[in-house]
Amino acid sequence: MSARSIVYWLVTLVLVVVSGIQVAFSTHEVRQMHVALQSVQREQDKALAEYSRLQLELAAVAAYQNIERTAEDELGMAFPTEVQRVEQ
Amino acid sequence: MMAWRHFALVGFFLLAGMGLVVRVVYLNVTERQFLIDQGERRSIRAEAIPAYRGVVYDRFGEPLAVSTPAAAIWTDPKSGFLDDAGIVAVTNGLGIDAKVLRHKLASNAGRGFMYIQRGVGWEDAQALRALNLAGLEFNTEYRRFYPAGETTAHVVGVTNIDDAGLEGIELSFNEMLRGVPGKKIVLRDRPGNTIKDLEYVNAPRFGSDLVLSIDLRLQFLAYRELKAAVESHRATSGSLVMLDVASGEILALVNQPSYNPNEAASRSTRGMRNRAVTDTYEPGSTIKPFTVLAALESGKFRRDTQIHTAPGYFHVRTKLVQDPVNRGTISLETVLKKSSQVGIAKVALELEDRAVFDVLSRAGIGEYVGSGLPGGAAGMLTEAGLKNPVVRATLAYGYGLAVTPLQLARAYLCLATNGIRLPVSILRQDGAPQGDRVFDEASVREVVSMMEGVTDAGGTAPKARIEGFRVAGKTGTVRKVGRFGYDDERHVAWFAGMAPASDPRIVAVVLINEPKGDARGGGAVAAPVFGRVMARTLHLLGIPPDDAGLQLARAH
Repeated sequence: MSARSIVYWLVTLVLVVVSGIQVAFSTHEVRQMHVALQSVQREQDKALAEYSRLQLELAAVAAYQNIERTAEDELGMAFPTEVQRVEQ
Repeated sequence: MMAWRHFALVGFFLLAGMGLVVRVVYLNVTERQFLIDQGERRSIRAEAIPAYRGVVYDRFGEPLAVSTPAAAIWTDPKSGFLDDAGIVAVTNGLGIDAKVLRHKLASNAGRGFMYIQRGVGWEDAQALRALNLAGLEFNTEYRRFYPAGETTAHVVGVTNIDDAGLEGIELSFNEMLRGVPGKKIVLRDRPGNTIKDLEYVNAPRFGSDLVLSIDLRLQFLAYRELKAAVESHRATSGSLVMLDVASGEILALVNQPSYNPNEAASRSTRGMRNRAVTDTYEPGSTIKPFTVLAALESGKFRRDTQIHTAPGYFHVRTKLVQDPVNRGTISLETVLKKSSQVGIAKVALELEDRAVFDVLSRAGIGEYVGSGLPGGAAGMLTEAGLKNPVVRATLAYGYGLAVTPLQLARAYLCLATNGIRLPVSILRQDGAPQGDRVFDEASVREVVSMMEGVTDAGGTAPKARIEGFRVAGKTGTVRKVGRFGYDDERHVAWFAGMAPASDPRIVAVVLINEPKGDARGGGAVAAPVFGRVMARTLHLLGIPPDDAGLQLARAH
């Protein structure tokens, strides 16, 4: 074996080892990101659940019938029966 | 020497073949259970990640359909991993009967998959998940809620348990709303628990939100008034459609009977039918403004052209056309105001054979509306028999054709826009759509101003009047076809109109089907609903009154 081919051989060996370590690191990273993704997804689900619940609550509170009932029964308001045009 | 090599080779292959057979038998018989166990333990599966279905909003952003995360809880009955303690815990958590679940498990014992409950609320599912029960599986899914309930049920529609649209907007825009589920590869252990996610193939793409043209306030209003009218007249059904004149948008569309989309149990075919879109009825006298329009277009008639209706009836061939009373000689305007069958039939017979038919088809009668709501009917308007004067006379007062309430509303929209036909839409439009001119502006204006007479004291629908506003419209009272021709007991009451008449902003059509009280006519049954709904609508939208007779208050 010539000195040159030994150098090639060694360089290749080093490259293989380095890339092997890189694979191990990136696999680890993928796992960690996966864990993070899962927890973020759980959070998203939770936020969605809360968001939709709040939207439904808001819709129930702001329903036209509710507003009308409150205006008429509690605040003593009434729909205008007589039409007047007000000009400035 | 050659023979020895030959036998050696053949012997070698025979041995190799036998070796393979032995190995196959060994793996299939002796090692079978071990290998199956190992294989299943290492089973890798693709799992779908459901996509969040888009929200449906009204034109001002009020939610009409909202999805909320839920869980489908299932188990593998064959494996028996769900033990008795697990059953008790699950049934306590879900509030169901343990006996029922045990029975269900027993009857599905041979199956590898069984839902325990679907659509479990997110908080409840989380609580159960925390118990880490063996054999209990959770799939994420979404549950649909409809905050406005039965008020918007026909427009919005419903989804099935698998989140696919069944009716209404949920059906016609299903592709847009549903999004695209994602996919992940998971590793599962033998009881079927996901050990870990291996690969995230693609993320789910959420469905798009949808903004409808509906104004929820008007929808509530229309629903309440229609429901009250259908109940008080003991009617079979009813529909109300309200359109925005500027854009052709559907502001409100309601029907009776309705159903609660939040309860699967309340869904019946009778309640779920969107009658305003799918059911056709004879339009009766509501067609008369179009006959008058045809008369004006012909140039043979003017508003004050005198028409002889005495003695209150006449024959077209063998067909008797009659008014309830003899109205004598009256103007074209009065024919419309009093809704005279004799008058309008005589007018129609003076016109070209196709004149009334042409006006109606330009207004879109007999054509699909294509609003974006599913299941629309095209109605019926046929050219056949126009040579026959009986057909022309009956067409003039709205018999021998069929329309849906939405179609009639679109036809009246052509009048309200002074002759421009606009596309009708259930989605909110940005800016006014491009329309086609189908009628002469001056003639349409004349017809609309004549239609104001209908709501005057002497007209057929003074109950459609609104304080401070001028209202143009037309009543219709149609006898329904029964088993023996037209039935005198079953009616359809119509009112179609627009306000303010000087510059129409809103078109509305009210239909009450088979009212059973003493009042059955369009003027007595449908017109008051129109009047109440339109009055509130004009106030809510802040449309200035156009009736000159009102008081003028000056603010400083």
